[in-house]
Amino acid sequence: MSTSRSTSASTAFRRIIRRETHSPRSVAMASAVVLAVLALAYVGTEIVLSLFSQPGLLLSPAAAGTWLSGLPDQQPAWAIVTVSLLLALLGVVFIVLALTPGRLPKHQLTRTGRVVLVDNAVIAAALAQHVSDHTGIARDRVTVGVSGRVVDIVVTPDAGVPVSEETIRELIAAELDVYQLVRPVKTRVRTAQQREGALA
Amino acid sequence: MNDTNRFLNRTLLLLIGLVFFVVGAGVVAVFAWPAAADWWSSASTSARTWMDNATRQTLIAGSTLSWGAAGSLAAIALLIVLLIIALARLGGGHTRSLVRTGGQDSPAGRIIIDTGFASDALRASLEHRPEILSSRVSVVNVRRAPMMHLSVTPRQNTSPGEIVDDVDHLLDSLAALTGAEIPSYLSIHTGLRSKLARDQRRIA
Repeated sequence: MSTSRSTSASTAFRRIIRRETHSPRSVAMASAVVLAVLALAYVGTEIVLSLFSQPGLLLSPAAAGTWLSGLPDQQPAWAIVTVSLLLALLGVVFIVLALTPGRLPKHQLTRTGRVVLVDNAVIAAALAQHVSDHTGIARDRVTVGVSGRVVDIVVTPDAGVPVSEETIRELIAAELDVYQLVRPVKTRVRTAQQREGALA
Repeated sequence: MNDTNRFLNRTLLLLIGLVFFVVGAGVVAVFAWPAAADWWSSASTSARTWMDNATRQTLIAGSTLSWGAAGSLAAIALLIVLLIIALARLGGGHTRSLVRTGGQDSPAGRIIIDTGFASDALRASLEHRPEILSSRVSVVNVRRAPMMHLSVTPRQNTSPGEIVDDVDHLLDSLAALTGAEIPSYLSIHTGLRSKLARDQRRIA
C-alpha cells in the first residue's frame, strides 16, 4: 500500500518537474488558433454572403476561384510572393515551436529531498554574490551566466589584487554543492583585465 | 503550473503550422518555378470543372443553394467551434481544497483544509523574511491528488539554498499543524521586481 502510494507520488512529481521545466506553448498555440479562426471566419462569411447573393467583403467565392486559377499571372507578383513567404515562415516557426522541447531556463535542486525548481538567473546572482563575498571583488565586477550545462564566470578584479581562477572555481564548486543541482554543470572561469589596471 | 493539455497545444501548432507553410510555400513555388505554374493551371482548371459539376449536382431542389456550399459552411463552423473550445480549455486545474479526509478517518467527521488556510499561513511567515519579495501558494491537481505549489521571488543575490532551508522548515511546521504531509514543491523565480528592488538586505 505504502509503496504504491509513494510511486504514485513520485510519478506526480516527475510530471510536475517535466511541466515546470518545459514551455506549455500556450501563447504560440493561442496565436495560431486565433489566426486560423479569423481565416476560417472570413471564408465562412464570404460563402454566406454569396448564398444570399450579396456582394462579397473582398472577393466572392466565384471571383476567388477565378483569381486562384489564374494565380501564376496575378499582379503585383512581388506583393503576393512576399505575403506568401511570410505565411510560410510563420508556418515554419509554428512547426519548430511544436516540435522542439522548449526547455525553460531552470534547474532542479535536491538540497533537502523536496522538489525545488530555480530560475537560472537566481542561481547566477547568488553565485556572483558568493564570489564577491569571499574574494572582496566588488559585486558588480563579477558576472555569472548559468545555462543548462555551464556556469560561466567573468571577474574583473581591481588592479593589483591577485585572484586565482582556481580560488573562484573552488568557491563556485562549494556553493553549487550546497544547492545539489540535478543536472551537473561545468564551470568556466575567466578573469578580464581592466584597461586602467593595464596602464597603471 | 496548470492543467493545459500540452499535447493538444503542440498538435494544433503543428497542424496550423503545416497548413500555413504548405499554402505559403505553394504560392511561392507557383510564382518561382514554371513547372509548378503549369501544374497549377491544369490542376485548377480541372478542380473548377469538378467544383461546378459538384455544385450543379448537389443543388437543393427549387433553390440556388447547393449541399456543397452548405456542407463546407457546416465544416467551417465546426472547425471554428472546435478551435475555440481548445482555446477556452487553456489553463485550469487549480483546486480549492488541500486536505480532504474520508468521513470515517476522524471522529470529527470529514475534514477539509482549504487552500486559503495553507496559503495565508505560509505567506504570513514568509512576509517576515527580508530576503523574500513576494510569494504565492496555489494547489494544483496532479493525477487527481492535490499538490501544493509554493512560488517565491527573492531579492536578487539571495542564495537559493537559504530559501530552500527556510521554506522546508515552514512546510514541516505546516505538516505538523495540519497533521498531514501535503505533497508540495517550491519554485524560486526572478523577475522585474527582484531586479528593481534593493539587492542588499537592509541592516536593521
